Amino acid sequence: MTRNACIVAATRLLLVAIAACLPALAATPACAETPSVEYAVKATYLYKFAPFVEWPAGAFEPSDPLVICVVGSDPVADLVDEAVRGQAALGHPIEVLHLSASSREARCHILYVALPGAAAASALERVRGTPVLTVTDDAHELRATGIVNFVVQDNRVRFEIDLHAAAENHLVISSKLLNLASRVYPKP
Amino acid sequence: MIEERRTDDLHAILGMERKNFMPFVAAAGVLLLLLAGAVIVLYNEQVYREAKTQQVEAQSRVLASTVSAALAFDDRKAAQEYVKALAVDPQIQMAAVYGAHGELFASYSRTADAAVPARIGEAAPTITGEQLVVTTPVKQGMAPLGTVYLRTTIDPISRRFERYAVLALLVTMASLIFVLLGIGQRQLAAVNERLRRQGLDLVDANEKLLAQIEQRENAEAALRQVQKMEAMGQLTGGIAHDFNNLLQVIVGNLEVLQRRNLVEGDDAKRMIAAAARGAQRASTLTQRLLAFARRQPLNPKPVDVNKLVNGMSELLHRTLGESITIEAVLAGGIWRVNADANQLENALLNLAVNARDAMEKGGKLTIETANTYLDEAYAQANEVRPGQYVLIAVTDTGSGMPGDVLSKAFEPFFTTKDVGKGSGLGLSQVYGFIKQSEGHAKIYSEPGEGTTIKLYLPRFMSPSDVAEPLPEAGALPAGHSDRLVLVVEDDDDVRAHAVGMLNELGYSVLEAGDGAAALQALDAHPDVKLLFTDVGLPGGLNGRQLADEARRRYPKLLVLYTTGYARNAIVHQGRLDPGVDLITKPFTFAALATKVNAVFDGRDDSRRAPAL
Repeated sequence: MTRNACIVAATRLLLVAIAACLPALAATPACAETPSVEYAVKATYLYKFAPFVEWPAGAFEPSDPLVICVVGSDPVADLVDEAVRGQAALGHPIEVLHLSASSREARCHILYVALPGAAAASALERVRGTPVLTVTDDAHELRATGIVNFVVQDNRVRFEIDLHAAAENHLVISSKLLNLASRVYPKP
Repeated sequence: MIEERRTDDLHAILGMERKNFMPFVAAAGVLLLLLAGAVIVLYNEQVYREAKTQQVEAQSRVLASTVSAALAFDDRKAAQEYVKALAVDPQIQMAAVYGAHGELFASYSRTADAAVPARIGEAAPTITGEQLVVTTPVKQGMAPLGTVYLRTTIDPISRRFERYAVLALLVTMASLIFVLLGIGQRQLAAVNERLRRQGLDLVDANEKLLAQIEQRENAEAALRQVQKMEAMGQLTGGIAHDFNNLLQVIVGNLEVLQRRNLVEGDDAKRMIAAAARGAQRASTLTQRLLAFARRQPLNPKPVDVNKLVNGMSELLHRTLGESITIEAVLAGGIWRVNADANQLENALLNLAVNARDAMEKGGKLTIETANTYLDEAYAQANEVRPGQYVLIAVTDTGSGMPGDVLSKAFEPFFTTKDVGKGSGLGLSQVYGFIKQSEGHAKIYSEPGEGTTIKLYLPRFMSPSDVAEPLPEAGALPAGHSDRLVLVVEDDDDVRAHAVGMLNELGYSVLEAGDGAAALQALDAHPDVKLLFTDVGLPGGLNGRQLADEARRRYPKLLVLYTTGYARNAIVHQGRLDPGVDLITKPFTFAALATKVNAVFDGRDDSRRAPAL
């Protein structure tokens, strides 16, 4: 495709990025910095989880938009708005809410916790038992992970899934997603 | 008769047209079989393609479903594994997963030289050659994620047709059977046709043979009859001649004894007289035998037959007695004949005696004379020379004779009279005399209807007489095919003869054997113009009754009678009215031509037509 040395080094990641969020990155220079690609991928993944997750009845009405809440801030959180622009999940428009750490917003379907350590844990604790798909990033020094936890393996963005936490939040994760997970924590 | 029936049946059987449809049936059968085979193959092919397409679409959908997460989360490795998994199906040549914008995501190709398309859009399943391409969109929920592409080989055409090989074999065998059947049937039909023709030829040959046999039998019978008469004539003639000489000695000596009174005593004289009477009677018998044998000494001189008949009038009246009336119908201008007058008188007397014996309860004797001629055809058939003759017809109203008696009537010693009543030599004497005089004798008789005996004596031609030329056939009035004539005659030969003559004259002819058949023919053909009927017919209706009934139904119908009896006799007996059209048998070609034409033209030509 191109003989650029920079691309050769990061071919794989780049290809993933292009495939995952082409509209968002179409205008970006061919040789972007690796970390920013990684964040963009993660930001995209947030709404892509939605088709593979089954919310309990009443939690996700057909007329509702898919609400992605972001608490805290990191490069991913900064890219979410851009990633979901023009996208839809399961026919629903996507709404992104940036919340403060202490916010008690209850409309969230997906909650991305961009907080380190204990803050993340408390944020997760606040939505435990409610139908919210929690997502954390291993890049933060975590004491507790969400139902989905981003990891980077072999220079690729992968994710772990905690079925126990999913069950606590009354969510059912598609086996297709589980198949792709780098690690699945089973129910106790 | 039985053989003829059989022949007809055979004709009917052999003549039957048996249309042979078998070759067409066989050809149609073969065509139908081939068509059915082709339809089955095409249908199976279609079913196979649909099933194959469905199968590949199902595979494609399974892949699309399983690969959706991998596409969503960019896991090429997983996608590659899913795609690769399809390799277990040997028919799958290529499999690929494309992203939401048509870009290649994961692919598998069985062969190294063929690469999957770099980009792909959605399309309906397509079959090109032996390849089936199926694309299926990948979706998770409602989000389109990409496309799955599958390319499989379908069974090569050769392999698919292997499946139809059994079917093809069966169809071929069935077709072969049909063809063989057709060929066999055709050959059979050809052989049958040949046999049929041979059969028909045989039937024809058989018919010809039968006809020839009948002809020959008739000829032989006639010859036998002539030979028999000849032999009997020679035999009786030889004996009679010697007897005559011996009787001459006896009679002569008895006369000498009587004349010279050489015997004494009444008894002796009476005995000599009785012996002389017996010898005289024996002498008469031998004279008759000699007459039959044509060995009697004849003294032929020119004789006027009318005068002779008139001269016999007294004798005949005495012979026949009071109960029988005699009528003589003598033609004017009668030719003279060259005959022995005494023998002719003898012959007429014999006929009169026979007539008397046939009319025990009385009746009428008619003697007719006429000038006539016998034509070539009649002369040939009756062993007489053609030419001009004088006819003397003697007709009685007696009991008549059946056919078997008729055929023997001229034979010597044949008699129907009781033993001792007749010598059986009367008619044979007549026959012998006439033959010896180069004439011709003919008997017509039907039981209950009386008898006519016709004597033909050749015309005496003196130097002063100029022979009248015989009418020429070319000058005869011809008939016309519009003129339909119905010939009614019970005697097959006579009818065939009359029909033949009328046909030759140009008339259209129908024929019937009796009155009932004639009426049927008339009803079937109302355009019959002339009814030509024999007076004596079997089966209830005689000729006159037939004519009356026919005239009642078809008043415009012309009627011409024919009879073997003499004309005047039959009219005077009341069997026909005077003035009816009548032609007597035997009639000549010329006579018939003239008579029939005259009847059609409404002229009474009977006086001009030579009456027989």
